[in-house]
Amino acid sequence: MPRGLAWLLLALVLVALPHGLSFSQQEILVFLTINVLLVASYRLLTLTGEWSLGHVVIMGVGAYASALLSKRLGIYVPVAMLLGAGVAALVAYILSFPLFRMKGFYFLIGSFAAGEVIRLLWKRFRDPFGGPKGLKRIEGMPDLDLGVYALDFFEPITYYYFAAAVVAFCLWIMWRIERSPVGLTFHAIHWQDKLAEASGVNVRAYRTRAFVLASGFAGFSGALLAHYIGTINPNSFDVEQMVFVLTWAIVGGTATFYGPILGCIVLTVLNEIVLREMGFEQMRPLVYGLIMILSVLFLPKGLESVVQRVLSARKTG
Amino acid sequence: MSRPLLEVAKLTMRFGGLTAVDELSFRVEQGAIHGLIGPNGAGKTTTFNVISGFYKPTAGEVRLRGEVISGLKMSQVARRGVVRTFQHSTLFAELTVRENALVGTHMAFRPRILSALLGSDTQDRRAAQARAEEALDFFGLLALAEVMAGDLPHGHQRALGMAVALAARPEIVLLDEPFTGMNPEETREMMELMRKLRDSGVTILLVEHDMHAIMGLCDRITCMSFGKLLAEGNPQEIRNHPEVIRAYLGGARHVA
Amino acid sequence: MAELLVQTGLNALYAAAYMSLIAVGLVLIFGVMGIINFAHGELFMLGAYVVVALYADFQVPYVLVAALGLVFVGCVGVAMEWAMFRRLRDNPLGGLVASIGFLMILQALVSMGFGVRMAHVPPVTQEVIIFSERVRLPVQRLIVILAAIGFLTALWAFLTKTRFGWALRASAQDQEAAALQGISINQTAGIAMFIGASLAGIAGALTAPLISVNPHMGHSVIVAAFIVIIVGGVGSLEGAVLAAVIYAFVHTFVTTFADGVIADVVGLLLMLVVLIIKPTGLFGTADRA
Repeated sequence: MPRGLAWLLLALVLVALPHGLSFSQQEILVFLTINVLLVASYRLLTLTGEWSLGHVVIMGVGAYASALLSKRLGIYVPVAMLLGAGVAALVAYILSFPLFRMKGFYFLIGSFAAGEVIRLLWKRFRDPFGGPKGLKRIEGMPDLDLGVYALDFFEPITYYYFAAAVVAFCLWIMWRIERSPVGLTFHAIHWQDKLAEASGVNVRAYRTRAFVLASGFAGFSGALLAHYIGTINPNSFDVEQMVFVLTWAIVGGTATFYGPILGCIVLTVLNEIVLREMGFEQMRPLVYGLIMILSVLFLPKGLESVVQRVLSARKTG
Repeated sequence: MSRPLLEVAKLTMRFGGLTAVDELSFRVEQGAIHGLIGPNGAGKTTTFNVISGFYKPTAGEVRLRGEVISGLKMSQVARRGVVRTFQHSTLFAELTVRENALVGTHMAFRPRILSALLGSDTQDRRAAQARAEEALDFFGLLALAEVMAGDLPHGHQRALGMAVALAARPEIVLLDEPFTGMNPEETREMMELMRKLRDSGVTILLVEHDMHAIMGLCDRITCMSFGKLLAEGNPQEIRNHPEVIRAYLGGARHVA
Repeated sequence: MAELLVQTGLNALYAAAYMSLIAVGLVLIFGVMGIINFAHGELFMLGAYVVVALYADFQVPYVLVAALGLVFVGCVGVAMEWAMFRRLRDNPLGGLVASIGFLMILQALVSMGFGVRMAHVPPVTQEVIIFSERVRLPVQRLIVILAAIGFLTALWAFLTKTRFGWALRASAQDQEAAALQGISINQTAGIAMFIGASLAGIAGALTAPLISVNPHMGHSVIVAAFIVIIVGGVGSLEGAVLAAVIYAFVHTFVTTFADGVIADVVGLLLMLVVLIIKPTGLFGTADRA
């Protein structure tokens, strides 16, 4: 099948998808779309070999910033979203100074601590962050009158189309970056930071670059979330959410661009739809935990390794 | 005498109470293959690590054409034209041979995110490809360009390490024990490549433990022992230098 | 004021006691297996629920219940090692994810068995040692402090005086060298897991009558434990104990004189500062990042 046709088919499926779903499933679809951006940005961060536990808090920084900018200053929501992404990137840039003095396990724990500090600040300061109850009645996307048809973004389907288009654009940017010499440098740092350094690569600057870029996209996903659900609080971005992102990435595999996205989609569908439909409501965390364990034990290279095996079998066979 | 390309002046490196390098001074002339030899534990690798910016010296300086480069970060040293290789087969094992060489071109064609997004860096990318291929061709690796570096046989991995360095178009390459683990045939080929590299205008400083291996290769040799300079001269002088002979014999007794 | 200081000091000592039991186990597991056991807080929770199940519901004598809690949680630890960590030795991120999966399973099982609400544990002893009007030490807290000292001393004796203890320390230093010495990694990992888990279990069993027992109580404990092992140095057991004392005092005093959220922030900042200045911790030398 030629490439263009495959993409066209995928686009058609994505357009048709929400129409076969119930209202609550449409809502899940919106969250899934936003989470795809989040987990893809997480992979961008891990390209240089460092794993963060603060990524969801950075997403929250984007959400809070965008919500506050539109609420307090009355900034037009799409602009506030972009500014929110910028604030998340800026916060990440500031955090990079202490954090990139650490590596590996220490970076993991350090990023967790930095994230928790931010979250506790949201909790502590009622003004402007709203304290433990967070922000409510966040402005939604304003209606868009196209003349023939007015888009109402309170409708999950409409917001899904908006989010999907924006997320697709962001994924395209990340893909371009990874396929460019910048991406090659990220990979080089991951595999041998000393040799990269000896080739003149400023390793710290590139780690910072990956971190800031990834944080910008994460912040944008947070803004997308905030203006859809209309209410956010410190617990929307706690370590449990981070664990989900980490799990998507590891279960999906991080060697390919699509691995984490695959992990996110498969696990979300499994968790939110299959297990719910089967009536496992109370046992959901149990089954989910079991799936996590089994997948790292028996699929250590992630779901992507299965896809790769199928693809190479088709090529040779 | 003209100004040397690289000059090590009264270099001292201490780790806690241990003095690994003690007021070492020597010069590397432009266009030479210069050997840094000595028994195990003489401080060769430490010296090497200071020159390449891996360590900051406790005292003393390293100068490139008169400019002090000691204390700079490794990437900054590399940008001034001093590029090193590593012991063993330190490569980007999960990248292809071509991609390895492309990383070597990093300094000449600094990647930019924005121009990569807009696609305005096509020219740079093409030039980087050309330079990477040239470096691979120099070491006879072009036919293997799409192979994963980790899958190469040992000798080819060594050559690729040098190709990555060459792609950076250095003024001087620092080679860390380039012959370790090579059979005589591979060693001979590698020496041939080094001569070719020198003739193309690249100065070479190499660290080697086995002094007989590089006698025929080096134009000039610096011999150190216990962190100090022992002797310097051409291979003939070093071979017959009584201190050097004693150091190597003594070193041998130490090892045994 | 002086009385308030003394009282806060006693509170801090109690917090230091159970924190060091938890942190030492976490360090031991990380040292021997190189795995960050995220489920460690849930092992603590499990220890508390053994008390809920046997003491609160069936009035089994408390001492017996505590001993059972220690053994039971220790066995859960051995099961974790056997079923998951053994197969993930070269895959630290995989170990992390597996331990998170296990954490979710434990939380779900306990929620299903006992409900998500706070479980009630009747007091074991109502006695309070009264030093003065405002300085009091409930005997149950004294028990926790004394037990922690006892268990840590026993652990220290085990590690320094017995053959297994030596083996454990050797493989924490260098697994390959230890394997060459004929020390079985599976065996030492199993022992480390049993000890680490049972210390968390006993900490849970001892504190159960004093704190609110619920299926999610492990979360705050694991955060504090991470701060403690980072401040103490990831490879160092002595460091973990010392850091537990430091952290408990800082946290308790800030909670008393400012508020709990500020205390959490201070604790996290303490860890960040240590990470920035000396990533191997105040007392650690091991670098297994």
